[in-house]
Amino acid sequence: MLFIHQTTCISPQQTFPEKDINLEYLYESSDNKLKARDPGYENIPANQLRKMGKSVRLGMGAALPLIPKDPKGIIIGTANAGMEESIEFMKQIIDHNEGILSPGTFVQSTPNTIASQISLYSGNKGYNITHVHAGMAFENALLDTAMLIKENPLNTYLVGGVDEIGTKNHNIDRLQSWYKKELVSNIHLYEADSPGSIAGEGAAMFLVNGNKTNAMARFKALTTLYSEDEDIVAGRMQWFLDDQLRTGENIDLLLTGENGDDRLLKFFSACESIMDNETTVARFKHMCGEYPTASSFALWIACQVLTNQALPQHMIKKGSIKKEYKNLLIYNNYKGMQHSFMLVSKIS
Amino acid sequence: MSKVFVTGIGMISAIGNTLGENRTSLLQGICGITKTKNLPSRHSGILPFGEIFIDTQTLKEKWKVTDEGVTRTMLLALHASQEAIQDARLSHSQLIANDTALVNATTVGGICLMDEFFRDVNKESNGSPYLSSYEMASVTRYLRSLYKINGIVNTINTACSSSANAIMYGARLIRNGLASRVIAGGVDSLSKFTINGFNSLHLLSTEICTPFDANRKGLNLGEAAAFLILENEEELKGKKLYAELTGYGNSNDAFHPSSLSREGDGPYLAMGGALASAGLDKKEIGFINAHGTGTENNDEVESRAMLRLFGDPPPFSSTKSNTGHTLGASGAIEAAYSILNLTHQEIYAGLHFKQPIPGTGLRPVTTTQRISLQHTMSNSFGFGGNCTSLIFSKA
Amino acid sequence: MNQMNTMETGQLKQQLKEQIIKFLNLTSVTPDNIKDDQPLFGEGEGLGLDSIDSLELIVLLNREYGIIIRDPKEGRKVLVDINTIVAYIEKNRTK
Repeated sequence: MLFIHQTTCISPQQTFPEKDINLEYLYESSDNKLKARDPGYENIPANQLRKMGKSVRLGMGAALPLIPKDPKGIIIGTANAGMEESIEFMKQIIDHNEGILSPGTFVQSTPNTIASQISLYSGNKGYNITHVHAGMAFENALLDTAMLIKENPLNTYLVGGVDEIGTKNHNIDRLQSWYKKELVSNIHLYEADSPGSIAGEGAAMFLVNGNKTNAMARFKALTTLYSEDEDIVAGRMQWFLDDQLRTGENIDLLLTGENGDDRLLKFFSACESIMDNETTVARFKHMCGEYPTASSFALWIACQVLTNQALPQHMIKKGSIKKEYKNLLIYNNYKGMQHSFMLVSKIS
Repeated sequence: MSKVFVTGIGMISAIGNTLGENRTSLLQGICGITKTKNLPSRHSGILPFGEIFIDTQTLKEKWKVTDEGVTRTMLLALHASQEAIQDARLSHSQLIANDTALVNATTVGGICLMDEFFRDVNKESNGSPYLSSYEMASVTRYLRSLYKINGIVNTINTACSSSANAIMYGARLIRNGLASRVIAGGVDSLSKFTINGFNSLHLLSTEICTPFDANRKGLNLGEAAAFLILENEEELKGKKLYAELTGYGNSNDAFHPSSLSREGDGPYLAMGGALASAGLDKKEIGFINAHGTGTENNDEVESRAMLRLFGDPPPFSSTKSNTGHTLGASGAIEAAYSILNLTHQEIYAGLHFKQPIPGTGLRPVTTTQRISLQHTMSNSFGFGGNCTSLIFSKA
Repeated sequence: MNQMNTMETGQLKQQLKEQIIKFLNLTSVTPDNIKDDQPLFGEGEGLGLDSIDSLELIVLLNREYGIIIRDPKEGRKVLVDINTIVAYIEKNRTK
């Protein structure tokens, strides 16, 4: 589908800037939240920075190092960008009884602010879009980008996933039991025998094109589905592998979005059971927490594993550290309904 | 790459509950913008709105919806998508096939229920029935589960160009072989949130909007939903064809969060990109359904961009003078109107126009007339500089 | 007599600068950095505010001084620099 040439990631772990990446050390959550480590944003002009909400800062901060490569379009997936500003604006509407209101938070409340601020900052007048389909927002952004590359084989694009911890997810998603009621550290996330996960946030950006030369990874294929039935999900995974892997090829690493929610374990067990003993199973949500576009963090991790040929021990669930990682399968699951599989490979 | 045809349309707006009613209103020059007192807002009765006069409960009864947690936005989307699906005669097996996609757009989503949202978010209640209804994807998720869609499902939000981008994305899924048929469109309902938002930016006119008029005072918000059924050329046996979707262009103006650049780079590039992707010369566009919101900034910049691209622009007008600005739905309803222009070979009078903008001199079409058309363009420009143009051609 | 109306012009300027910094979240600016005749809008010499900031300042004048400016164009005539705003406040304030 496409080749990944450069990536950045602002996350709750030491992932930014590139020279300081350290995935072995695990930062701990507090109050069931894994908050992104704020890089300071010195390069964003003060008059732009002062108006930006957290999602926009995360997105801009992560995009900045990739902007000099002059991508021909900006494609962002985000479920909740602008939600916090929406809530602030609502508070104003209520406090001032629909009187004279300050428009700043309303302008920032629309989720396309991330993509449009990147374009404003860099003067990028190319393709610009924001996909907001919850747990499939980043997947649709990737699919869009894959189509763009097929349509314009010579172009390079910037594609990313961004979401923040906000009042909305922490109250509304909690009322719906998507976050744990008891205090759980990310270090013990997978031991908890209870519903819900811990909240997370972050921004991961990818500079991609159709050119294999000097690429860090190949994004081979993507499939998405909606189901509450683990057998249907595992069946799709089997179909996807049969469709994508040639005879003799194997998945070296299955990277799953297991998130400590005991209601969702059945999906991960079903998918893991398809794998033979050759496949190492690893997890990533204890690093980034749960958020709708967490699959963008997973893709960033996959690129790290493929380029460095190394996997931190704390990520491993089953199997062992491998000598070589060629084919990685990412399985993510959002709220037990939206599922995605992404196949990423080492450049041969 | 497969060609993309429009085989079904469904819509509801302030000027009609079906595609047919909308066309009748356009032919009669009906303006659906009124100063009513139904909306739960202090501005209700003072500012004019393009409101749909069917209350939420009646919509629920009409569609036999009993689930709690269903919002007005979902019901408007249900209403319009049902008409589109029936119009294209999509069977149940087609709806649930892996190659049927659903691409929706919205800007308010569940925030049409602003007061409930605010209570839930501040935990002043144990949680209303609407907890799952607030996220941007909620309307699309509702349609997906109703129609049991198994193909690609997406929600796009690029502010006022959202549903033009949903249609563009749907067409590209077909062209790239990722879907054989797509339900694509958008929806927004009137909300205290958007009313106060646009009002805080001094963009709402206290009078009925006058797109492209020298003395325009701003826009009127409206509510609507519209969906197109897009199908690839292999699917067309015996079907009614409304039009072919031949071109699309998407560009960012990269100038300002809420207004367009003086020379209109974004609109210019979006319109030019649509022409290039359709392989058409600018002279071949017979009519433009302009974005034409009635704001000082948009109409002047859009005029300038049309002059820049076309030299002598083709006939154009803005149906926002009939419906108001329906935000996330506007790209889709105006795409539907652009298709009506083609199928019936007619163009509709832009309303409330008196004097051209000094400096551009452009006059929108002010009389409804029959006209020979091969290709029409529909413009949608949004906050954040997100500009998209679509081109439809006679099937 | 309203106590605030007796405020010295110098004091009012200082107070206004503090209010502007807070209202617009101008984190990299202090009241001492803003000259009374420094243009608020435009880059370079100016503070670099934009058209949305001008709408914000209209809200500030309403909330702090009870001044209603309905037409943003009218606002831009007032919102030139600290001197012009203070002169307008002294003339039109209702609180």
